[in-house]
Amino acid sequence: MTELQFGEPWFGIPWLDAVLRILIVVGVMTFTVIYLTYGERKVVARFQMRLGPMRTGPYGIFQGIADALKLLVKEDVRPRAADRWVFEFAPYATFIPVFLVLLVLPFARDWGVRNLSLGLFYVFAILGLNIVGILMAGLGSGNKYALLGGVRAAAQMISYEIPLVVSLLAVAMVAGTLDLNQIALNQADRPYVLLQPLAFVIFFTAMLSELHRAPFDIPVAESEIVGGYFVEYSGIRWSMFQLAEYASLWAFSIFGSVVFLGGWAFPMGDTWPWPWQLFLTFVKSLGFILVVMWVRATMPRLRIDQLMNFCWKVLIEVSFALLIVNGLFLYYGWPHELLALVNWAGAIALLAFIGARGARKARVSQYVGLYRREGVTAP
Amino acid sequence: MTSVPKQFTPTRQVPKQGLAEKIRRAVPNNIPLEFGETKTDVDVRLKPEHLLEVVRVLKEHRDLAFDFLRNMAGVDMQEQGLHLKIHLYSFKHNHTVQLTVECPPEEDHPHVPSLTSLYRAADWHEREAAEMFGFIFDGHPNLKNLLLEEDLHIHPLLKAHPLQEPEILQGIEEGPPGFPF
Amino acid sequence: MTIWPEEAIVRHRGETEFDFDTVDMTVNVGPQHPATHGVFRMLLTVDGEVVVDCEPYIGYLHRGLEKLSENADYRQAMGWWDRTDYLAGLNCEGAWCMAVEKLAGIEVPERAEYIRVIMMELSRINSHFMFFGAFGADVGSFGTSFTYAWRERERIYDLFEEVAGDRMFPTYFRIGGVTMDLPENFEARCRWLLGSIRQGLEDLDGLLTGNEVFVERCRGLSPVTPEQAINWGLTGPLLRATGIPWDIRKVEPYSIYDRLKFEIPVGTQGDVFDRWMVRLAEAYQSTKIIEQCLDEMPKKGLVLNPNLPKTLRIDSGEVYFRTEGTKGEYSVYLMARGGNKPYRAKLRSPSFCNLSALREMVIGNYVADAIIILGSLDIVLGEVDK
Repeated sequence: MTELQFGEPWFGIPWLDAVLRILIVVGVMTFTVIYLTYGERKVVARFQMRLGPMRTGPYGIFQGIADALKLLVKEDVRPRAADRWVFEFAPYATFIPVFLVLLVLPFARDWGVRNLSLGLFYVFAILGLNIVGILMAGLGSGNKYALLGGVRAAAQMISYEIPLVVSLLAVAMVAGTLDLNQIALNQADRPYVLLQPLAFVIFFTAMLSELHRAPFDIPVAESEIVGGYFVEYSGIRWSMFQLAEYASLWAFSIFGSVVFLGGWAFPMGDTWPWPWQLFLTFVKSLGFILVVMWVRATMPRLRIDQLMNFCWKVLIEVSFALLIVNGLFLYYGWPHELLALVNWAGAIALLAFIGARGARKARVSQYVGLYRREGVTAP
Repeated sequence: MTSVPKQFTPTRQVPKQGLAEKIRRAVPNNIPLEFGETKTDVDVRLKPEHLLEVVRVLKEHRDLAFDFLRNMAGVDMQEQGLHLKIHLYSFKHNHTVQLTVECPPEEDHPHVPSLTSLYRAADWHEREAAEMFGFIFDGHPNLKNLLLEEDLHIHPLLKAHPLQEPEILQGIEEGPPGFPF
Repeated sequence: MTIWPEEAIVRHRGETEFDFDTVDMTVNVGPQHPATHGVFRMLLTVDGEVVVDCEPYIGYLHRGLEKLSENADYRQAMGWWDRTDYLAGLNCEGAWCMAVEKLAGIEVPERAEYIRVIMMELSRINSHFMFFGAFGADVGSFGTSFTYAWRERERIYDLFEEVAGDRMFPTYFRIGGVTMDLPENFEARCRWLLGSIRQGLEDLDGLLTGNEVFVERCRGLSPVTPEQAINWGLTGPLLRATGIPWDIRKVEPYSIYDRLKFEIPVGTQGDVFDRWMVRLAEAYQSTKIIEQCLDEMPKKGLVLNPNLPKTLRIDSGEVYFRTEGTKGEYSVYLMARGGNKPYRAKLRSPSFCNLSALREMVIGNYVADAIIILGSLDIVLGEVDK
């Protein structure tokens, strides 16, 4: 299968074209990450009825740059009990896989670094290398809290890789290809979130877990072990971890919008020019990021065993069932509309199941009467 | 264990009528008790060697049923020795009693039996009384300093211990603490 | 690469099919920690993620309250007592003043009683909101509950500042009444504040109570039976969460609480979720109490007993005055032996007694849950360390 290349190489020289594109991606990534740190603080602040940064520049827009500059000039502290090379290499080991993922994502029809025909496989294979970096950080810090955080993180990330991969494979089956640009082009008339909503729900949940964001942020549980695996890092090494976290948030958002929301292709397809496609990518990934931040500002965090229970007892079963159902439908050639219907039913059932677990355990209505009605004391 | 009531009849905080007679009847006659009244409770004075038996009777007797240890406070009564005030409460009958354990004045570190076998709540109260006054509770599982530092062996709430300048009392410093200008 | 200092290792045989030695790790949840509400240290011995032993260390905030009170006048000592439960200072002032008034036999005018109850209930709401905020942050909702709770607390503090002159420790009460009368717009402002508090309670309830993650974390965590609660000396919302409707304001009423109608919310299991709900319901009941006081308060009257002596000398007497503090039974044991200073003043603080039960509650749970259980005890270190 031929891959959809990102247009002709610039200046006709392939390696120069690659280097230029990489530089542009790195530049955009740095700028985006800096403004994501600022954006997160503003968004979470609005959820918490306060304003967020307001003083550095008008409405605080230079806050991200100020933070980056501060981190760059800090002293580099390394604890004596830390294993030197493991400790120092860990931030880079965490960041490099994220950057490698950004090299295959299509930002527009002709816009990306290189397109691979195995794009989907490449993305989640490389993302798994993050775990090595986090384990290195946890073990190499010489600190019990870091060890706790690193081990929790590794267990969590390895577990949630499975539903992530399987749900994406389900979409790949429907799309018939692993090439990311082709997947985007296939959605010119309707995005896959309408055909495979269950896969989207599973992907979103597993994505939150891979990113260590609430409600799955137990490895960086600030109120308990204050930072988890990066508790001993300061200055530029810590900023590498933050860079990795926000860059992977951005990468996942673009990846999710390409695979599920249509990326640059929906709604106008190939016909409108590249500024419009870039704008679409931007808006969709921004929507993803906003929802992720919204969840973070609201939900408390799950405990590690509840997290693992949820993955192994709920998500993996559902994602494998999804894969089998998809396979059956595609093999026997049954109509796609029926497949979509089954998927919607599955998505609603999963969400209802999660919601009912909460309410059933609490019987909240028994207490609500305590202060909404008069004179009720529970039995 | 008696079942916990769901209704309580409210009482004002004054000494309960008839409680002293009930206690005198319940406790065996060979144990000398003296009764008095504070502004809020009935007061029972006793010696440390009888404490455990009396409290056991108070806890298990049907009409008394003191199942809740409210408070334990030491008092330094100078010439009359160290006293330990124990406040017990009964959920079943909604009454409170104050026990005053009068330790002999000669002893600097009087021995008092520990109530931790009867009430788990006594644990920290006894640790605090021990470090502040110098009581020694026999049978306490872990009599270490609670509020003061681990290796400090002073008893600050005794009247003989001054409020200021403990360093002079302990012989650590020569004069008042402060900047040596 | 050595990580473990030898003396911190406790070796014991793990009970698995394979016989191998496991090492218990000691995790120090130290005095500096964002999760322990104040300077408090917990030494957890952890087997994997399960807590095997827990030893609390307190005393970092010990300020010698009782010794200082023995060397100060009855009226001067009040200035230290409201700093014990620093989240609800007026409750503590009230307890001290009422204890001395009982000892000396001083009457308090009726309007002053009503004003005292209003102020004490507002501090109770204040303290409960602090619990909602901090507990939400402990469970992990990243501070959203914090800011929701703080909006109401700031409004209550503004009201205190207008009435008494200071936000946290106003020393507004006096032995024999209160310092000065309420300002003219107090009633209107207080009623507006009550509406805002009720809205704040609804917001917090909507944010966290029905949240699946919150319920998963809190339901069934460290349940306490009523017999255990009584034996361990628990009082306050912890005792009411186990199912015993015991509130000193109803059972041994002081001041004018016997004239006020309010309910006592109870839980069923005594677990962490029940404690959250009980405090939520209690805050609402306090708003009802304040409304009743505003309705029934005498519109004019003295606020301070006019026949007070210049120096208060009490010859003899003992009193053990019980009040319902925000965290449980806040009681003052006073003994007088002549002179104008108390001979012995002892604070029976609820957080001290509740905290002594921490060890039993935490053992067998996970490390993450130990933090939540500590948060649900709602301790304030000023009380614990006196």
